[in-house]
This record gives sequence, C-alpha cells and structure tokens, in this order.
Amino acid sequence: MTDFVEQCRREWKRLGVSDPLAEEMAADLASDLSEAEAEGVSAEELLGMSAFDPPSFAASWAAERGIIPEQPSPTNARRRPLFLMAFTGVAAIALVVAAGLLLTGEPKLTLATSGTRAGGIGPLPRSVVHSTSAPDPVEWILLVLAVIALGFAAWLWSARARSHPPTAPGQ
Amino acid sequence: MAVSSTRGTELLRGVLDLCLLAVIDEGPAYGYEMTKRLRERGLSFVGEGSIYPLLGRLERDGLVETYRAASNGGPPRKYYRPSSAGRIALALGVSEWRAARDAVDAVLAPVKVEVAT
Repeated sequence: MTDFVEQCRREWKRLGVSDPLAEEMAADLASDLSEAEAEGVSAEELLGMSAFDPPSFAASWAAERGIIPEQPSPTNARRRPLFLMAFTGVAAIALVVAAGLLLTGEPKLTLATSGTRAGGIGPLPRSVVHSTSAPDPVEWILLVLAVIALGFAAWLWSARARSHPPTAPGQ
Repeated sequence: MAVSSTRGTELLRGVLDLCLLAVIDEGPAYGYEMTKRLRERGLSFVGEGSIYPLLGRLERDGLVETYRAASNGGPPRKYYRPSSAGRIALALGVSEWRAARDAVDAVLAPVKVEVAT
C-alpha cells in the first residue's frame, strides 16, 4: 500500500501538482488505505480497478480536483507522434541526400551566361553549362539544415518521452 | 453475473455523486468512512471505481466543504460535508433520480422475472 501511495506521489510530482497538495492527498490516501487494511479491506475493494494503475488514479484525482490541466485528448496525443515522425523522416532524407551529393563527388552543374555583342552585331548571349567538381554551397547548406532539423527532432522525441514515460508491466 | 455487475456499476456511476452527498449530509466523513457507509447500505460494488476523483470534482465544483480534524485515535483526516450548493444539488438530484426510477419501474413492472434454480 505504501508503494501505491509512493507511485501516486511520483505521478503528482511529474504532473506539476504543488507539494502541499500532493502531500495532503498522499496523507489522506495513506490513512484510508491503512485503516482499510486494518479492517481487512483490500486496496482493490477500496479503489477498484484503480488499485492496479496508480498513475492513472493519481492523474484522474488531480484532474478532477482541478489542480492540473486537463489531460490531452487521445486525438491530439496521436497527432503529435505522426507529425514528429514525418518531420524526422524528412530531416533524415535531407541529410542522406546532402551527404550523398557531397560524398559521391558528382560533377556539379551551374548555369552561367557568357557572350559578347560587338556593334550590335555578334553572337547573342548564350547559356553555357560549366561543370565543376567543387562542392556547391547548396549541398553544405542542406547538410547543415538537415543536421539541425534532426537535432531538433531528437529533442522533441526526448521531451515527449519525458512527458509520456512507459508504463511498467503489471501496473 | 458479470453483466449484472457491469450494469450495477454503470447505474451507480450516474448517481454516485448523489450517494456521496447523501452520506455526508448525515454527518461529515472522510474518504474511507464514506465507503463504509455506502457498503453498509449494500453499495459494495462502489469499489469498481474510486470515490476519490469524484470527491475531487465535488470539491472543485464547490458542492462540498472540507476541514481537517483528528479521527478516532488516528492521524488528522480530511472531512467532507455538503456546502449549501451541495445540499441544493442533492435535493435536485434526488428528485431527478426518483422521477427516472419511477419511469423505469413503470416500464419494467409488468415484466415477470423467473429465476432458474
């Protein structure tokens, strides 16, 4: 039963419930559970199915009291990973493309205009294709942007992991 | 049995707030004490859910007042009692419940129940 209260306390802390309120709820819960145990009443009889899921119980209690923001809706919770996955995928593809262009040393094509016009008569300006093996700054810019985007994606994933910790089996 | 238990839980869910207000209207009580009072009246399946989130909602909505006091030899407990708004909500809720119960009874009364033994 102490373990149940401790898990609730951790959940309240994670949710940002103030210490005095969390302490008050934990003390009330612990007193009730102790009294029930002394009278031969199990935690399951007192708490129902909540006895097997302390984090949900703690979150539900705090939310109903109005001391934490409402939990995000399942729709929003699903949308964010989809957006994050798409963002991460695009950043990864950009990184691979930029790296590939730089590593393969493929000739880079640039378009330049040359030509002269003398006395109004002469060759018209024409487009000439120059080839060069020097890396174009565009590839470097793409590479840097892709690395930054991937770093940002990694930060978003870690922030999400902190706010949605995996539930331990059996809880 | 499972069906019966589920229906009982669903029925109780809609009126558990009234039941809580009713038992603390008899006298202030802390959480576990309310559970005992409900169980004494046959609402043992209150354990399917938990009264704590519901108490939190009643508190947030201003339907209960709370205070701390020592229990019988134990640590100080948080006692709940209905506020004036809570008493009004209780009266209205009981009226609604009775109307609904009578209507359902009128529908179900002609049904002859035979229980196989």
